[in-house]
Amino acid sequence: MTTGIRASLMVTCLGDLFYPEVGVRIVRLLRRLGVEVDFPAGQTCCGLPLFNSGYHVEAAAVARRTLPLFRGSQHVVVPSGSCAWMVKHEYPGLMTEPSLRAEAEALAARTYELSQLLVKVVKRTRFTSAIPGRVTYHDSCHLRRGLGESESPRAILRDLDGAELVELPGHDECCGFGGSFAVRLPEVSTAILDKKLANVEATGARCLVACDAGCLMQMGGGLRRRKSPVRPVHLAELLEVDGGE
Amino acid sequence: MSELSTPFRERAAHALDDRFLQQALTIATTKFIGLRREAFDAFPDGDALRDRAREIKEATLQRLDQHLEQLIDNVEGLGGRVHYADTAEDARRIILDIARRTGARLAVKSKSMATEEIELNEALLHAGVTPVETDLGEYIIQLAHERPSHIIAPAIHKTKGQVAELFARELGREVAADPEELTRIARAELRQKFLDADLGITGANFAVASTGTVVLVTNEGNGRMVTSLPRVHVAVMGVEKVVPSMSDLVVFLAILAKSATGQKLSSYTTLVQGPRRAGELEGPDEFHLVLLDNGRVRQIAGQLREALSCLRCGACLNVCPVYRQIGGHAYGYTYPGPIGILLTAMLHGGAAVKDLAHASSLCGACAEACPVRIDIPRMLIELRKDNVERAVAPGPERVVFKALARLLTMPTLYRLAAPVGRLLQRPFVRDGGIRRLPLFFGEWTRSRDLPAVASRTFSERWAELERER
Amino acid sequence: MTDRATFLGRIRREMGKTSGLFPATTAPRPSHPRLIAETLRRELAERWRETLERFRAEFERVAGVYHRVRTAAEVPDVILAIAREREARAAVTWHPSALGTDWRAALTAGGLVTATMPAAGVEAIGERQALRDLIAAADLGVTGVDLAVAETGSLVLLSGSGRPRSTSLLPPYHVAVFDRDALVESLGQVGVFLEAWHDGDPAAWRGGVINVITGPSRTADIELTLTRGVHGPKEVHAVFVEGGLRG
Repeated sequence: MTTGIRASLMVTCLGDLFYPEVGVRIVRLLRRLGVEVDFPAGQTCCGLPLFNSGYHVEAAAVARRTLPLFRGSQHVVVPSGSCAWMVKHEYPGLMTEPSLRAEAEALAARTYELSQLLVKVVKRTRFTSAIPGRVTYHDSCHLRRGLGESESPRAILRDLDGAELVELPGHDECCGFGGSFAVRLPEVSTAILDKKLANVEATGARCLVACDAGCLMQMGGGLRRRKSPVRPVHLAELLEVDGGE
Repeated sequence: MSELSTPFRERAAHALDDRFLQQALTIATTKFIGLRREAFDAFPDGDALRDRAREIKEATLQRLDQHLEQLIDNVEGLGGRVHYADTAEDARRIILDIARRTGARLAVKSKSMATEEIELNEALLHAGVTPVETDLGEYIIQLAHERPSHIIAPAIHKTKGQVAELFARELGREVAADPEELTRIARAELRQKFLDADLGITGANFAVASTGTVVLVTNEGNGRMVTSLPRVHVAVMGVEKVVPSMSDLVVFLAILAKSATGQKLSSYTTLVQGPRRAGELEGPDEFHLVLLDNGRVRQIAGQLREALSCLRCGACLNVCPVYRQIGGHAYGYTYPGPIGILLTAMLHGGAAVKDLAHASSLCGACAEACPVRIDIPRMLIELRKDNVERAVAPGPERVVFKALARLLTMPTLYRLAAPVGRLLQRPFVRDGGIRRLPLFFGEWTRSRDLPAVASRTFSERWAELERER
Repeated sequence: MTDRATFLGRIRREMGKTSGLFPATTAPRPSHPRLIAETLRRELAERWRETLERFRAEFERVAGVYHRVRTAAEVPDVILAIAREREARAAVTWHPSALGTDWRAALTAGGLVTATMPAAGVEAIGERQALRDLIAAADLGVTGVDLAVAETGSLVLLSGSGRPRSTSLLPPYHVAVFDRDALVESLGQVGVFLEAWHDGDPAAWRGGVINVITGPSRTADIELTLTRGVHGPKEVHAVFVEGGLRG
């Protein structure tokens, strides 16, 4: 079954180095859904860490070399809301030459965070959960506020066979990652995290789902440290397609 | 704490250890968030009015000189006097001159962040004028010799027990730690001060150019007292507070109290015009308006222009994950919270916020809550960028980031990151995760685990994934 | 310290460096505010009942105490009842010309020591002080209402001769008497009246202060616990007179 939809995976630096399994699952999932997936070679990072800390000349250099890698992509799928935000929101402004700016705007228009691609392009919300039981969802800031996206992940989680979605109290409150913030002000970052994890544990969920590697690194790091039974998972790790569908 | 510590980081850590403060902040900010949400949920026009308000602020700046000229003419036409303060020191000098000339010994003050900003109270004291804060929260912190910790609820960090102790110590009044009782005492103490005061000092939430009206938004009634009873009234206002007309004013009134406390309107919206009118019983003999620059004018064409729209409602403080954890004092300046960082840069320059500009995870909750839609995160990033470009950011940090940039723009170098990472992490990996890392990386691992660099990165697995097809 | 020209000159210089962030306009203003206000009053007169109901709901929401009487002659009974319940002994009122009716006799007969504010301007400072002290010593202040705003449950009071500002500020109980002429629906409409009152040369109203009062004085500065009657009144009463206050 093919849909004629082609998607290029922008795996992100954290995804590549720390969460390759997420990338692998995305590739396999999209292929099961009839999407042709490719992985443009030479990717490194979207440049967000440089941008957020004020290194805009350097961020622009990273953006400029990322742009041509996806020139031929029909859609670009990104596992992290923050990286998708960077490409969609900031790449055009970082380009000083008008032709590059136009190209960045065109790229922005075809870039999707994973749940957005599934719901809006592939138009599918129904999957089977790889991990049955109660799940709760954390809205990562760049996805929810930056991209205005809080519905697509929920549409998928609500429809997820074998999983029960429970709303997380303070679901739209920051997890405390903030990139370099987490190591510049680790005490504050941890206090924010503790508040988030108290809410997570109060839901009684088995899995904490998020669509951002940074959030998962922060929240996962906290859950592991306190030896919590709650599993931090990326949305992609939950989604399975039943045979024959 | 490591050598990477900064004074701000230490103040923040100190605040995190203050258990009562932590409780108070959680309760207060959660309450304010709920009140604001309820108020706007019941107000379908809210979003449209916020857009209008933002637009009016921008339109006002585009003709700021004309609006100010009109304001000045109208205030003078009413018999008031207008003064021009480039700096905080100028403003203090103007007010002290007025106090001296009018023989003022006692001044009552209605809540004004602008007068905090120019550090007026100390100057008045040195000049032999006793300033008395009359907003209950401000009164409390004045007695405690502290600065406000929140823009609209200045004594949020104090327990009722602490207030009772304070009143006992400073006023010689023994009283139960009961807010009603404590308020009654404050009312009685301050009533006499209002009646005895020579000088009333306020800020201005707005000033209407078309009529020369200064607008004060309060809940306690002290704004009314301070502008009616003493014989001299001085209003201090930033130049950006001017609004063109009464028709503009009501747009702001519709959203200000809702954003600050969830009320449709505060108990008192007071529109004062000049000194006492002929035929009226009450009102000051003299009315003075002090127009304050203090860093604002430079931002008209500056990168913080948007911040000039601020209504001082405090909504951004209440939703900020950082403010909610550390409170106002840790910021170390007059204005705390997200907007406070921008205002501090406005008043003291970008270098003053080299650490504060990073007191944010850039979550965007502030911009979402702001009634005039100020894009605070965008400007925080701008401030960070400036500090990088002007080499205000610390040397070692710049080396690291520039090295990172090189790594990310050179794929051959980047490809080495994983194998090198795997090598370096070997002594630290347990069960696929890392619990402790030395040096700078300890800033993360002190409180959180870190995932290990994958034994095979995604890039390293792609070839076989391709073949799977 | 700077002068006007230098101060504004610097502002103009900075303004000249930028055209601004985006095209923006200020709020539209009524071109003939007094005419519009008049028209508005006539329209509102037709829907006064609904407006009154909404006002009552919002007024009570902000802890206002609402009363309704049929005629102006019944107002003193309401005031006396309030005074009795709160053990109030002395009241001050606006001048009858500002209230629309004269209740002095009825209130005094009911045992409430009542002082009425003089209509003509009192200029001598000694006299003004004495009147101020009278108001400060009173338990109850009786005023009229220029606008009763349904959207927010607010009372708008203009200051002027015979209607001093502290009548609604210093005594702990404020009683505001109004009729259907005062009712308006929204803050937007308040804006029209604010424009109208300042319209004209000389302006229609040339007083010192306009107070928009929304409930009693309050604070939550101590541990967020709400208390009333901080510096202003601890109770606000609104008495609606069906039959009207004038004639």
